[in-house]
Amino acid sequence: MVTVWSLVSCSEMKKISHGIVGFSTQKPLWVYALLLLIAVGAGSQIPRIQIDTDPENMLSEDHPSRVFHNQTKQDFAMHDAIVVGVVNDGGDGVYTQAALSDIHALTDDILAIDGVIDADVMSVSTVDNISQEGVGTIRFEWMMPRPPASEQEAQQIRQNIERLPLFYDTLVAKNAKAAAIYVPIADKNESYRIAEEIRSATQTLTGNNTWYITGLPVAEDQFGFEMFVQMGISAPLAGLTIFILLFLFFRNLPLITAPMVVAMATVIVTMGLLIGFGFTVHIMSSMIAIFLMPIAVVDSVHILSEFSDRYKPGESASKTITKVVEHLFTPMLYTSVTSSIGFFSLMLTPIPPVQIFGAYVGFGILFAFVVTITFIPAYISRMSDSALIKLQATLHEGSSNGSRVARIARGLGHIANHYRGALLLTFGAVFMVSVWGITQIQINDNPVRWFKSDHEIRVADRVLNENFAGTYNAYLVLTDERDLPEINTLMPDADVPPSLQMWVSEVKAELTSEPANEQIQGLIMAIDDKLFEVGSDEEMAYLDAVMAKADAAQSAMKTFQSPEVLAYIERMQNYLNTTGKVGKSNSLADVVKVVNRELRSGDDKDYALPDSGAAVAQTLLQYQSSHRPNDLWHFVTPDYRSSLIWLQLTSGDNQDMTDVVSLVESYIDSHPLPEGLSADWAGKAYLNVVWQDNMVAGMLDSLMSAFVIVFIMMVLLFRSFIYGALAMLPLTITITFIYGLIGIVGKDYDMPIAVLSALTLGLSVDFAIHFLERARATFRETGDVAKTMDEMFAEPASAITRNALVIALGFTPLLFAPLVPYITVGVFLASIMAISALVTLLVLPASMTLLRRWVFVPSK
Amino acid sequence: MTMFKRNLLASLSAALLLGQTAIAQEVDVDALIQQAEKAAYYAGDDGRADARMLIVDAQGRKQMRQFTILRKDVEDNGDQKMMVFFSRPTDVKDTVFRVEKHASNDVDDDRWLYLPALDLVKRISAGDKRTSFVGSHFFYEDVSGRAVAQDNFTLQEETDDKYVLKATPKQPDSVEFDHYIVHIDKATSLPVLINFFKADGTHYRRVETVTVEEVQGFPTVLRSKVSDLASGGYTLMEFRNTQYNIDLPDDVFSERSLRTPPMKWIQ
Repeated sequence: MVTVWSLVSCSEMKKISHGIVGFSTQKPLWVYALLLLIAVGAGSQIPRIQIDTDPENMLSEDHPSRVFHNQTKQDFAMHDAIVVGVVNDGGDGVYTQAALSDIHALTDDILAIDGVIDADVMSVSTVDNISQEGVGTIRFEWMMPRPPASEQEAQQIRQNIERLPLFYDTLVAKNAKAAAIYVPIADKNESYRIAEEIRSATQTLTGNNTWYITGLPVAEDQFGFEMFVQMGISAPLAGLTIFILLFLFFRNLPLITAPMVVAMATVIVTMGLLIGFGFTVHIMSSMIAIFLMPIAVVDSVHILSEFSDRYKPGESASKTITKVVEHLFTPMLYTSVTSSIGFFSLMLTPIPPVQIFGAYVGFGILFAFVVTITFIPAYISRMSDSALIKLQATLHEGSSNGSRVARIARGLGHIANHYRGALLLTFGAVFMVSVWGITQIQINDNPVRWFKSDHEIRVADRVLNENFAGTYNAYLVLTDERDLPEINTLMPDADVPPSLQMWVSEVKAELTSEPANEQIQGLIMAIDDKLFEVGSDEEMAYLDAVMAKADAAQSAMKTFQSPEVLAYIERMQNYLNTTGKVGKSNSLADVVKVVNRELRSGDDKDYALPDSGAAVAQTLLQYQSSHRPNDLWHFVTPDYRSSLIWLQLTSGDNQDMTDVVSLVESYIDSHPLPEGLSADWAGKAYLNVVWQDNMVAGMLDSLMSAFVIVFIMMVLLFRSFIYGALAMLPLTITITFIYGLIGIVGKDYDMPIAVLSALTLGLSVDFAIHFLERARATFRETGDVAKTMDEMFAEPASAITRNALVIALGFTPLLFAPLVPYITVGVFLASIMAISALVTLLVLPASMTLLRRWVFVPSK
Repeated sequence: MTMFKRNLLASLSAALLLGQTAIAQEVDVDALIQQAEKAAYYAGDDGRADARMLIVDAQGRKQMRQFTILRKDVEDNGDQKMMVFFSRPTDVKDTVFRVEKHASNDVDDDRWLYLPALDLVKRISAGDKRTSFVGSHFFYEDVSGRAVAQDNFTLQEETDDKYVLKATPKQPDSVEFDHYIVHIDKATSLPVLINFFKADGTHYRRVETVTVEEVQGFPTVLRSKVSDLASGGYTLMEFRNTQYNIDLPDDVFSERSLRTPPMKWIQ
């Protein structure tokens, strides 16, 4: 195995390398101690690990969409909720005495659990029913204050639910086969405990119902758990895979211990620093170990290969290793830098977890390089003569695996050298088709689909969304942006009677400390209080006049009591219902219409908006006279200046949410919002769309910049434009092919796939660097193109194949990971590495031969 | 009810307390709560007050409601008529609640509602009285008064200035609490603090008297507060212009008053 590097002769580099290796071989124990110190220091931070599974963190904390989402959650008093679903396939579905009794019992159990926000738990037994009781009588009562005493009572509950649009298809499915309990929780870090308590409560229930527990907090918890599983299983498996591969290559346990130490130290130091600097471990960074291990050993493979080739028994191992590292220093530096650039380019993506992942893997690669060129020489200088002789013997025998790799390489060489035209035509055609394929890419993601399809969360998600109007929530928030009337305009200084001037200035001073939307209410109360004290007619008249203005201003402020505004919301909801994209929408207009109907006749004809703001206000006053007065504030803020339409979607796919967003946008374009209103989105389904958009745009940036930087580096490295271009060729074809394939087979372009584009660029260019440099060096020796190509497919091609195998197989343990994104990453990296090695070995010889006039310039 | 009568009653109970042993404690408790009920909800033969509620949610957002309450007792600790006329916010102005309270456990209260903007009079079927009073943390029952006959009381503690009693509902199905602990001030006989508990011991709701003053000789609550201890929200209720024994005519409490408020009494 020869890996001769005769790259850019840079004396500076050699000096640096000489110094480093010299130190390492002379003071190996110092190197050991230093490495141990760093590893122990950084490793001591690892127990402080904090897992982050919140998809919201894909956006930075101050991202406007995230800020708005959280403001909306606060303004409308919303909490993350666990969703408990119950399905009964019997004739009456869940409307049986037994099933409803179970729902009642479970709800009671849930209300008793600490950390549940009781007042907001939505269940058949915690909501109110409004109904008619004879002519002119209305009845407010619990929907199901106690378990139904008979099947007849169960049927009565069905009738009541089906009359109330806010519950129908939200609390109980239209097909009656499923019911839901929404369990808001104060702290989503408690969701695992609460979900487990709910789960054990369902086990005591006697009915033959099927229970499902899901909801975002539960999913996030599960996700965190699966992440640990992944790190606990896949990372050690990757280590084992690499160990076995190294053993097959070198057949020498003491020798391959060295690269394993490099890999372990790199992983421990990188993760230790990440955790030590206070970053949470997100789904991306949980893969750092598995990324770093194969990359970290590649340089060692080069050194060990060349060392075992050059070392002659009896020589000084230290001298040989010094020469080898000197020789390899520049190419290893370049491949390490290009690889790390691929990862560092991820920092251009505006997605914090991806940035951190890119930064730390990039760092890890450079760290691995430093450890490789210091630790490996130190280690080898301390190897015993007998071990070194044994190594020699094994390698020179040539193992069966080695020859198998060599046979494959020779076979590839035959194809590359005999079917140049056909190869280039084929790759040209594949490239064109791939470019078309890329235009077919469907950008889509859905965090729930990060679980495998048989995972209980996916099952629950499927069952509930089959039955209900949808468990994915998006909120269209309408807000009156117009300025509020100012106290000063209601009480101009000029009009104030002298005897009240002091009082007026006091009131004004006091009110300025109140929130703007409560100042007029405060003024009204202040005047009301003052009216008791004042005596003079002048004062009375003044206060009455201001009071009249304040009352009028206060009523006028309440935008969402206006029937016209509510009618706009109603029309938009009607439109959304026709699109087929929205399972159901709920709004303040629905609340008003239901209460109006029940206040009047209870008949469908009265399911309408009343005709004045005061009528809306009085209707809502009745709605609030219930067991759940605060439900109103989930639809409108207490100042009536902001209101939301809650959309229930049956799909959490970003694509579907994006469609809804553009449908609403076009509706607003053709039906302008009432004056002064603005519309904006909140809800997790929407946030996912935002970060996905950011990622697609960001990934394009990072891919392009990585491409340009790596290209420039290649031109510098080879001191040749044409070599630079050739170096970029295989990876361009590979990446285009892979992404074209994604477009053609219809696999969604999601988070892991997006992240892979830039980083594979940095990894796969390594093969081309090796190949081009070896070809150039061989040509210098032989001066003949055909001969050069023949020699390339002896040892050099084997070396490239061997390294491709290390990296590609190193990623395959991800296939055993419990979460889909890991599997995607595993499959993609393995195939990108394998394909780019193949493309390098097939396309480069053909292209170089074709362009030989410029590529192979005879040396003078 | 005059001051004299009230004091006589008080000394009578005191005498009973002194003269009786353990068995008599129930009698004593009964008298105690009767008296507290009377002090809190039946002062005078009739009365009026202007009320202002400030509803403060968990985030500190405030809403105001103003209304006038007129009340006339049919008999002390017995049936009662009540009218609530809203004046603010102006969009609910002239909304009226009319209540005929029946002390007997077997007879539901009669309740009517007038919504001027919908030009609608509606009877409200009793259903449940522990629902929010117009969106506040007060329940209807806190405004009209929960009949003491609905609960069983036991004396838990007596201090120099108060009695502490535990009340458990006779019909646990009809209420959201498991029990409540009421503090009755010895000087005024007014319940000044009521803490509500769930079956698991969670203390979730507090009703408290903030300011008490004598009006026409009756200890009168001028400010009270209900707190939702789970959310942190609360409602402050303030009474002004409280007057007793103003000889409210019966027709003020008729259905006719819903659409044509008796301006004389509510301004």
